[in-house]
Amino acid sequence: MSAPRVPTVDDLRVKLCYICREEEPNESGTQRTWTHPCKCTLIAHESCLLEWIRSAQGNSTRAENALKCPQCGTQYEMMSHKSKVLVFLSLGDRVLQRAGGVFTLAATAAVMGVMGSGIYITLTAYGAWAVKNFLGKEVFDLMLTDDPSNWPWTAFINLPIIPLSLITSRIFPANKSAFPTIVPILSIWPGAHVAPQRLHHEPWHTQKPPPPPYSSYSPSLFTWPPSPMIFGIFVAPILRIMYKRVLHRFAYWLLGANLSEFKRRSRFGVQLNEGPFMIRIRANIQDENGNEIQEGGNEGGGRRRGGDEVPQDPNAANLAAAERLVDINALSIGRRIGGALLIPYISHIMGSLLFRISKRSLVLRHVLGIKHYRRFVLGLQPTLNAFTYGSGDGGGSGEPSLGNLKYWRWLAKAVTGIWWGGARRWAELDPVWWRNIIGLGLFVVAKDCLYLLHLWHTKREIETRKVRNRDFSGVDIKELDLKPGFLSESPMELGLINPGDVLVKRALR
Amino acid sequence: MASIAARRLGKELKEIHSEGCPVGINLVKADDFETWWFTIEVMGESEYKGEVYTLQFRFDGQYPISSPAVQFVITDGRQAPIHPHVYSNGHICASILGNEWSPVLSVTAVCVTLQSMLASCKKKERPADNDRYVRHAPDNPKKTQFHYDDDTV
Repeated sequence: MSAPRVPTVDDLRVKLCYICREEEPNESGTQRTWTHPCKCTLIAHESCLLEWIRSAQGNSTRAENALKCPQCGTQYEMMSHKSKVLVFLSLGDRVLQRAGGVFTLAATAAVMGVMGSGIYITLTAYGAWAVKNFLGKEVFDLMLTDDPSNWPWTAFINLPIIPLSLITSRIFPANKSAFPTIVPILSIWPGAHVAPQRLHHEPWHTQKPPPPPYSSYSPSLFTWPPSPMIFGIFVAPILRIMYKRVLHRFAYWLLGANLSEFKRRSRFGVQLNEGPFMIRIRANIQDENGNEIQEGGNEGGGRRRGGDEVPQDPNAANLAAAERLVDINALSIGRRIGGALLIPYISHIMGSLLFRISKRSLVLRHVLGIKHYRRFVLGLQPTLNAFTYGSGDGGGSGEPSLGNLKYWRWLAKAVTGIWWGGARRWAELDPVWWRNIIGLGLFVVAKDCLYLLHLWHTKREIETRKVRNRDFSGVDIKELDLKPGFLSESPMELGLINPGDVLVKRALR
Repeated sequence: MASIAARRLGKELKEIHSEGCPVGINLVKADDFETWWFTIEVMGESEYKGEVYTLQFRFDGQYPISSPAVQFVITDGRQAPIHPHVYSNGHICASILGNEWSPVLSVTAVCVTLQSMLASCKKKERPADNDRYVRHAPDNPKKTQFHYDDDTV
């Protein structure tokens, strides 16, 4: 019947927010929500406190103090709508982050291990592995083969560059997708070379294919799939720009505000803060607004001065906070490098997947340019006509019989054809690279969608946050400036309680 | 609408004017809500007896959510105190200015903390990596990520 009542934040005579230092007398009927989140006398506007938590959580060095009262150290209790999807995505992110950390350790150990003697070999081996995965075994066997003694000298320069450029593309991400960087690297360079040994060793090569009359190969401007060169130089950059636009639009529609990534693009630098490592690589690069971009820290300040358009928009603020929350787990250097180095393998997996699906779909087969579908099924030898093409023995007799005009026309078509359709041997081979690139593209799209989904759920979580409001139990009542009403309502006059510790208690209605 | 930062700094300034600064700390200049200067002096027996230093506070629009940028002034003949946590360019390696900053702290609270940091110093020396740090240090000490390892000094 008479339970002691403990004063709450509503019983204070004057409220003083410990964050903004605004005072509010009890009588004034403002609508701002007050909260007493801990076990000491500090109280705050809920909005101030949430902003503080959001800001602190977005910074890996401050995150551990974000939910702690600075005075009594009590953990704040947060209540928010945390969907299962978000829990799952965050967990996945943390797992990847952890894997990234393990990768950093392992990779450092590996680098130390091969330091001096073997870095070059490791890089080259990786490059070869990447080519094999990305361009397919058929091309790999033709261009390089498993035996390095067959490799052209250029391979010894190009192969080790592959992992390095993959890594740099991720550490200094002009954009987030590694898609465009890989295309020129993997596609252009092997175009001209065929491992010489191979041709003589292959059993089917002894029965020389008939030299094709050049009329039988009519290069056209529109072969499908396009040549790697054309794709890498022209199509990929255009696709990339268009994709970024679409993604941006979609993100805006989904999240109701612009992703900050698009506002301040140049975010150079890496922070390595895993286990025993504390390394910070940072280029003091100015963003478009002339502010130095800084990891965490006073990002808020930079944002304020930089993005003057939307400083007060709560939607944008929540989104920025969500982005920082999501990104905090994606910054590990191990995760970035590991992810970059896995790109050829991911492409390979996605390409294989597409190939499997294409067995069921003629349309997809056409899109992927799989011409020799049966060959893979029946294990027939690849067509090697291509390699005698243009070797001279086809031309000797045929050339003079054609009219000059016809010849030049053929030549012009052949030249443009090489540009569009690639060298003949490219056109003849199973375009593994093409389905791998499409696969990689799909992967990038899926990854971005997942990122946006994560962002959307995180943003919603932030928007629904509330800090648990505690009463003042445990606080010495004399430290509190309670409103007079609280005292008069207390059951002192009932004589039930010793007036000394009365103030805390009051019969409930 | 005055921003939260301006209103809070206005209140802090009013308090300083009405109640005065803690002993050994004096307001030099606070003409706007961006940069304030204080002199700081360690009272009583200490390594820094009789020495007066100048502290500069820089605030951004997110104050007090984001910490102020605090450093010793080393221009116009002023010097930074020689202390294991104070670099010769005036930057201070103190966790309350970095990851342990909290909005419950105020400008005077920071001054007092730094005052006691100086007072508890046993041996006047520069940080071990002073030269290296000063060579590459950014203008704003908040852009440095200090590694707070030593709470004893």
